[in-house]
Parts: sequence; structure tokens; C-alpha cells
Amino acid sequence: MALAYMDYYEVLGVPRDADQDAIRRAYRKLARKYHPDLNSDSDAEDRFKELGEAYEVLSDPEKRERYDRLGANWRQQEQETPDANFEEFFARQGFGSDDTRVEFSDELFERLFGSYAGADPRGRTGGPLRGHDREALLELSLEDALEGGRRKLTLDHREIDVNFPAGVGDGQLIRLAGKGGPGRDGGPPGDLYLRIGLKPHRTFRRRGDDDLDVDLPVAPWEAALGATVPVQTPTGTAQVRVPAGSSSGRRLRLRGRGLPKSGGRSGDLHAIVKITVPKKLSDRERELYEQLAESSGEASS
Amino acid sequence: MSGEEPVELTVVARRAGVRIALVRRYLEFGLFEPHPEPADAPRYDPLSAARVARAERLRRDLGLNYAGAVLVCELLDRIRELEARQ
Repeated sequence: MALAYMDYYEVLGVPRDADQDAIRRAYRKLARKYHPDLNSDSDAEDRFKELGEAYEVLSDPEKRERYDRLGANWRQQEQETPDANFEEFFARQGFGSDDTRVEFSDELFERLFGSYAGADPRGRTGGPLRGHDREALLELSLEDALEGGRRKLTLDHREIDVNFPAGVGDGQLIRLAGKGGPGRDGGPPGDLYLRIGLKPHRTFRRRGDDDLDVDLPVAPWEAALGATVPVQTPTGTAQVRVPAGSSSGRRLRLRGRGLPKSGGRSGDLHAIVKITVPKKLSDRERELYEQLAESSGEASS
Repeated sequence: MSGEEPVELTVVARRAGVRIALVRRYLEFGLFEPHPEPADAPRYDPLSAARVARAERLRRDLGLNYAGAVLVCELLDRIRELEARQ
């Protein structure tokens, strides 16, 4: 497999003359930092793989020597002398047919028993294992969240089709089975969890988890006398009764017209009275307002 | 809970991609619990498979022992809970 050249010393952050202890220490420290189960950054998985590759080479004196000598071309050499498999490894360690001497070096012990030190960065000795779960954000407009629909997402160079149901709420998780990290050694892939994020809306403001606020523009006479006026809801226009004598800021609750909750119910929509005065008055309107002002003045004096 | 019906331990093992003996081992260490509703055979939350796989990845990759891997998983859950509260 053709892989881009990586400076393994740089990947592990060690000088070129680092000894095996320093290399192991650097690997362990960085493995904890970039392990995909501990680090949710999108590039953590790639970094972790690079670390594993760098450590596999630099922790093996033969491979390291080849790498130091040949640099980017070290793998070509490797193809001529195939990568150490278990048989070869056993032979090198003194398990060959002519040699019954058994040497349990630390390295062999670690390779055989999965290691106390995480010395097998690719987990090859551990057998099949399910891949890790991933989480990604799916940002939706309020309308899309209420209606449900489809999205195409590109994650780690893969295109994924997502069907999200009508009525998904902010912070809700949608599980896509088998769309997470790849399994190891034939293990099943992990799952992908999409966390729904509702984008801010120009008309509706969220209030708590399931309730929404919306401004309700009301003419001064409607506020004073009471009226039934149209109000915008997430699913269309509704009528709301504004009681006589309503001031700006009064909340009128429309039950069940907010965001869907789990269990099939919905939050409430709060229409907030906002008395809106016409910018320009007709002559007739001006006359009536003047009369109103006069009579209000008489009433208060 | 995941919302999915509780499953048998063999299903947890299959979904985690590991042998059942390993799943039993993590059960002994308290990585996950049997479903509270008594049934003919004990049942488990299907999400237990992901928990087992995560603990096992941590154990293999970072050289932890079983107790250490379970502890890290519990701490990760705790961090997640705290982050969700913010």
C-alpha cells in the first residue's frame, strides 16, 4: 500500500538519536492524548494511526535502521524482505527448529500478551474488535427539524445519507448503526451518533427546551380594545385572542405549538405582545389620535 | 438506555466483535449491568456492546488492565455528563 512519507521522529516528537525508552515514553504519552476514545477532535483518529505506524517502526531496531538509512523509500526495501510476521518473529527470538532456547524478552512478552505497555499499537494480537463510535453535529433549521427530511453528510471522506425524523429536538442524538469507526481484524464498525443542533431562527426564539417565543405585533387600538390577530407559528399561521388592555410584553400562551418533546407532546409557543405604532398616520387617524389625546388629558386632569 | 429492546449477552459479544468470555469479564468488573426487568435469561442494554468495545480498545491500546479500562470509561461518562450540564 502506498503511503505518504511521514517523519516518524517528528510524529513522536523525539530527536533522531532518541533511545528506545524515550521513544516508548513519547508513544505512550501521545497515544493517551490522541486515542479516538479520549479525544473527540476530528483529526485525532488520523494522528493516532500515525503514532501507531511511527512507533511500530521506531520501536523495532531493524525497521528503524532501515528507515534511518532509506528514509521515504524504506518500505520498498521492506517488500523485498516481508514484514516480520509471527513465524519470523519467533524464529528471530530463538523459537526456530534448530534452537530450543526460549528467550522471553520484554518485546516478545508484550507482543504475545497484548502488553502492559500498549506496545502493539494496532492491536493486532487482540483479535476482532468493534470500531469506536463517532459523534458529529447535524445543524438544522427549525422548519427542517419539524418537518424531517434527508441530508448528505461528508465525514472522513465518506458520504453518508441521513434520514432524520420529523420533530427532532436540539441536542437529540440520531444513531446510524455501522457508520462509525472501522472495526479491527474483522470486528464490526462502530456507530455514528448525530447530535442535532438547531440553528437560531429569525422569528422564533427558544425558551428552555421545548418552548418558543415569538413577537406579536399589535396595533394600539387592538391592544386597548382587544382583538383576534394572526400569529406566526412554526407550522403556519394561527389566530390568537389579545385581551383588552394588553400592554407590550404580555405573554399569550399557545399550548402545544412549540417544539416537539419526546413522548409525542409539544412545548408551548409564547406570543409576546409588541404594540406597534404606524409610522405614518392618515389625516383621519391623526384626527382620532388627537381626540384620544384630548379625552385622555381630560380624564387624567 | 438506547430505546432498543434488551438483548442477551451473546448479542452484546457479537456486536462488540469479541468473545463472550471477555464480555463476562467486563460484566464482573461492573462495566455494564443486567437489565432490571427479570426475564428467563438476563438481558442487557444493547449499548453495552459499544461500552465493551471502548473499554477493550483502551485496554489494548494504552496498556491498561481491566479495572483501569472500566475506570476510564466511567470517568469519560462522568465528563460527558458534566459537559452536557453546561
